[in-house]
Amino acid sequence: MTPDEVPGSSWQAPDGLHVDTRGLHPPDPLVAILWHLEQVGQSGPVTAHLDRNPVHLFPELAERGWSYDYAKRTATEVQLVLRKTP
Amino acid sequence: MTMPGSFLGGAQDRLLPASVPFRFFLAAAGFQVLAWAALFWGADQLAGYRGGPGPVLAAIHLATLGVLAMTAIGASYQLLPVVTRRPLARDWPARLSFWLLLPGIVAMTWGMAGFEPVTMQIGADLATAGLAVFALLTADNLRRSGGIPVVNAHGWLALAALVALVALGSLLIRDFDGGFLADHAGLAQLHMVVAGFGFMGVLAIGLSLVLIPMFVLSRSLPAGPGWAQAALAGLGLGLFALGTLWQVAALKWAALACATGAAGCYLWLMRSALTTSMRKRLGLPFVMMRLSWGLLAATLLLAALTLADLGIPNAPALTGFLLVAGWLLTFLTGVLQRIMPFLASMHAAGKSGLPPLLSDLTAEGPLKLHAACHIAALALCSAGILADLTLLVQAGAALGGVGGLAFAVFAVTVATKLAKPGAAG
Repeated sequence: MTPDEVPGSSWQAPDGLHVDTRGLHPPDPLVAILWHLEQVGQSGPVTAHLDRNPVHLFPELAERGWSYDYAKRTATEVQLVLRKTP
Repeated sequence: MTMPGSFLGGAQDRLLPASVPFRFFLAAAGFQVLAWAALFWGADQLAGYRGGPGPVLAAIHLATLGVLAMTAIGASYQLLPVVTRRPLARDWPARLSFWLLLPGIVAMTWGMAGFEPVTMQIGADLATAGLAVFALLTADNLRRSGGIPVVNAHGWLALAALVALVALGSLLIRDFDGGFLADHAGLAQLHMVVAGFGFMGVLAIGLSLVLIPMFVLSRSLPAGPGWAQAALAGLGLGLFALGTLWQVAALKWAALACATGAAGCYLWLMRSALTTSMRKRLGLPFVMMRLSWGLLAATLLLAALTLADLGIPNAPALTGFLLVAGWLLTFLTGVLQRIMPFLASMHAAGKSGLPPLLSDLTAEGPLKLHAACHIAALALCSAGILADLTLLVQAGAALGGVGGLAFAVFAVTVATKLAKPGAAG
């Protein structure tokens, strides 16, 4: 998958990479977040913006050795901060 | 790390309690063993089977209602709310549907095997009630849906097929005693087509639009071919129904052409997902799913040869066998072996914090044994039907039963790991 084909949007901020998947249908949020995590040299923090709790993401994060913290959690928006587990 | 456990079961996450889908999956694993056992019992009748009570009819319904419908219903309860972005209105009707279906399927298939009309009828009525609860819950969820329209369209089409197949099934069972139907065999064939290609088939190809990209980690699939497969499948089912009721062969050929078109769209979409997959190793579940896609094509080819009456021995029985045990059973066991550890991982994360590794929640050995036995069973039973050799069908059914037991060991292993405190360990 080329960077142009990755669903959603992303930007670099002082606190790390941000990936915005709001408004996407499944499985695009999952694919977008995992694509960014799999880029060479990426160890986080990566902030993922979602419009729901990504229950399907957690097993995939565990498989890849990434942990997560909730930065924001409301009924309509979730922000996760992802870090590579040492 | 902040854990999702405190609200994984909440409505905002659209994740049902694990016990709801898992009870359907465990029952499906048990019914798979019973289906092969019933086929072993009725092996001498399989090749020439054209309908009617007995162990073959019981085996068909143990496989279709027991394994396929139980799996599809359990998966739908869990996955449709994710796709439609609306939680189920209540949990308890999902549990109720299970407790109606389980005794209903047992009684109905018992009555079919031993030709006990009253038991068969009671079982069918219970199963119908269970399916009605499922249909109402699903229709309510689809009605409130804010999700993917093309997947919703498959859901509505599958529900329409479910209503038709239940109505036909009720008529057919009552006709065993009453004998009032002018064309029992034709309606039985229509019932099987609507059940296999309509309800189960449409649900399988519809949920695949989300499930397969999620499994292989590919982008969401283009909607155009998805709409085409739904339209062609619906048109095909309608044409086949008219062809049966009016006894017009040309309409059945047109139906087959539509089904082939729908399958073509579906297989193209599945190929697209696989070629853009981010996951490097897809594993045994996709060996089963790829095989099932080949068997879907084989089923349609054989249906054409049967319709053309080219003299292939026992072609109707072989077509039915490939439809149920070949395409659908192979596909759904592939889906189950991928989805059960995945769901267990999500739910276990809610129980004890850390999401467990999928590899810690599966059982590779039993799954390998199941795959080997299942494939051998398909080959032996198909050869047995073609050659009209009871011994080959029995050998195939016995191997299928061993594979079914291995699959049940896998299912129980996953459920046990999920049930243990600290499963996420």
